[in-house]
Amino acid sequence: MFRSIKQWFIGALSMYIGLSAFDVYAQDGEGLFKQKCATCHQPHKDGTGPKLFKVRDKWASGGAKDGSIYQWVANWSAAAASDPYAAKTSQLKATAMSQFPELAGKQKDIDAIFDYIDAQPDPAAAPAAGATGAAGMPTDGAEMEEEGSFSWIWIILGVVFVVIIMAVGGVRRQLNIATRVSEGKPANEHLSFSEEFKAWAWKYKRYVGIAGLVIVISLIVSLFLSLYSIGVVEEYQPSQPIAFPHDIHAGKNGIDCKYCHNSVGKSKSASLPTVNVCMNCHKQINGNTPEQQEQIKKIYDAAGWDGSNYTGKTKEIVWNKVHVLPDHVYFNHSQHVTVGGVDCKQCHGDMTKQNETARVVPVKELNEIEGNIPLTKATFTMGWCIECHAEKEISSGSLDTKGDGYYNEIHNRLLKDKKLYNSYLEDKKVSVKELGGWECAKCHY
Amino acid sequence: MKVKFKAFAQISMVALLLAACTANPDSSGLEYMPDMYRSPAIEPYVDYGEVRGQVNEDLKMQRSAMVPPKYTIPFWGTDSATVHTMLPYMRQPGSAFGQTHGLFFLDLSKNADVDYEYKAAAADKNPIKLVNAEQAEKVFEEAKKLYQTNCNHCHGEKGDGQGPMVASGAYAGVPAYSNLTIAEGQMFYSIYYGKGMMGSHASLVNKREIWTLIHYIKRFQDPNYGKFDDKGMLMSVGTKPASDTTAVKK
Repeated sequence: MFRSIKQWFIGALSMYIGLSAFDVYAQDGEGLFKQKCATCHQPHKDGTGPKLFKVRDKWASGGAKDGSIYQWVANWSAAAASDPYAAKTSQLKATAMSQFPELAGKQKDIDAIFDYIDAQPDPAAAPAAGATGAAGMPTDGAEMEEEGSFSWIWIILGVVFVVIIMAVGGVRRQLNIATRVSEGKPANEHLSFSEEFKAWAWKYKRYVGIAGLVIVISLIVSLFLSLYSIGVVEEYQPSQPIAFPHDIHAGKNGIDCKYCHNSVGKSKSASLPTVNVCMNCHKQINGNTPEQQEQIKKIYDAAGWDGSNYTGKTKEIVWNKVHVLPDHVYFNHSQHVTVGGVDCKQCHGDMTKQNETARVVPVKELNEIEGNIPLTKATFTMGWCIECHAEKEISSGSLDTKGDGYYNEIHNRLLKDKKLYNSYLEDKKVSVKELGGWECAKCHY
Repeated sequence: MKVKFKAFAQISMVALLLAACTANPDSSGLEYMPDMYRSPAIEPYVDYGEVRGQVNEDLKMQRSAMVPPKYTIPFWGTDSATVHTMLPYMRQPGSAFGQTHGLFFLDLSKNADVDYEYKAAAADKNPIKLVNAEQAEKVFEEAKKLYQTNCNHCHGEKGDGQGPMVASGAYAGVPAYSNLTIAEGQMFYSIYYGKGMMGSHASLVNKREIWTLIHYIKRFQDPNYGKFDDKGMLMSVGTKPASDTTAVKK
């Protein structure tokens, strides 16, 4: 009786072990790979660890001892101690591999992982259909060339036009002389072009006067229009050292603006990302197309990254400032972003669709963006700033004057000024203007 | 002489008109009073190689971003708890961090064990304590914003390693937080100096922000983390094994 129970117990135990073992073997290679390996290894690309495609064949042909690769997966240092090939492999990367004692002796599991890896197609060998970003990356040079040739056409046309006018004038003069000669009159050859023109203008003085007036007025109008455009920097897009497509980063890959322009909520300046921020992703991403690879290579040169290690030989990047405010204007990003809660797109437009480097987005385009306060004056002019200060609502809640904060003090002032208080009662909204956002010294000091 | 002057004036007028046709893309256009636009005081990202017509080669911009002088300590006020949190990090990057993460400008650990400091970091505790439900709520609120900005694009909204960067196929190999078995001090070390593919985030988030983020990350591992029960006591958290499988190295 007792013996049979014992036998039954042993049977149950062995069955349990068998079942649990089966349970582990039934785990797919994909799941194991993603859970344990994928953080550092990829099938076709070196990362923190080397690529693993056909790694079993590589070890076998490299002269590794039979089975040492399985030992390596569980405990690489033990394998390196017993197999010279494994010892050589351990020198490949500076980062030491994790140990997986739970995989020790589980050759079938490890084979499942390797089978999964070997079944993965190489994305680099596939036609670069996924490389959509390349089309949206025109180089600055091509664009400049286009613009230049465009203005040259006008210059050439103008020169041709002047030549035609002069030729026609010359022919007319010759004909005039010829008719005068045939009519028996003196040839009048001593008359210069200008004297002839004067005579002609005197003859048709009414039309010449009207035409002259029209020309003078249009010149004055265009002069004033061009004077108004002085200091307006809409569409300003200086050349940059690296053709950075904002749409791929902020749009397709969903990176927050504030990740790269990190200090925007903390300081006056929004900050350009330092190259270590680029390398947080580009350590792995080296581009799908030759154009992308060429641009990303510039990041690698700046960071001193040779493809598998940092060399310590770094280079500088000099970006060109796009949004330049005059010296007599004080603008603070953190005040607008953190305190005012203004979205980046209110002033900088929808960067998830900007496939080039940054530019000053014209106010027309800014107004088309959903959620933006519509403004009329040109971007980056004072009119544009104060228009927004009059519109932007700071607080829609009740006026709290109980605290001792900076804004409570301002709220208090708002309550005591009758005119201001009435304008607040009209719409129950507090705009920047009502808090003194139109005072000169807010921005000019 | 007079004729010569006339011709000269005419030619220069034409030349001026022609010059107006070509646009320099790096010029932002005419300014009313340039000396009111260009600041002689130093502003970030402005090239001071030429100010008010004066060329100064020494001041020409060499680089856009600069590292603060070594061993400088930012001023964080007089609140001792804040100052203590914000003091320079006491753990050094491992000796391989120059090669793997480009941290050559820091003092690297001289210990033969590349992960000596990382292992020691397991003992570090989060200085931001959760004392009551209200305060914890505030910490998690701030952490959520920080997470959205700094972590979300790779680690994903749910902390499962499936952020938009991974979903778009651009990036691979982001671990799910639930698979991590590292101590909170090691999380700090990994965010501060980087780990594996992830680079150092010390320039993006300061020490207080990293510790705030760690509270948020730990909630991905245990939904009850940082929550308070009816009696106002911290809810018990399923303790994870303290041993770190990824830390055992040479």
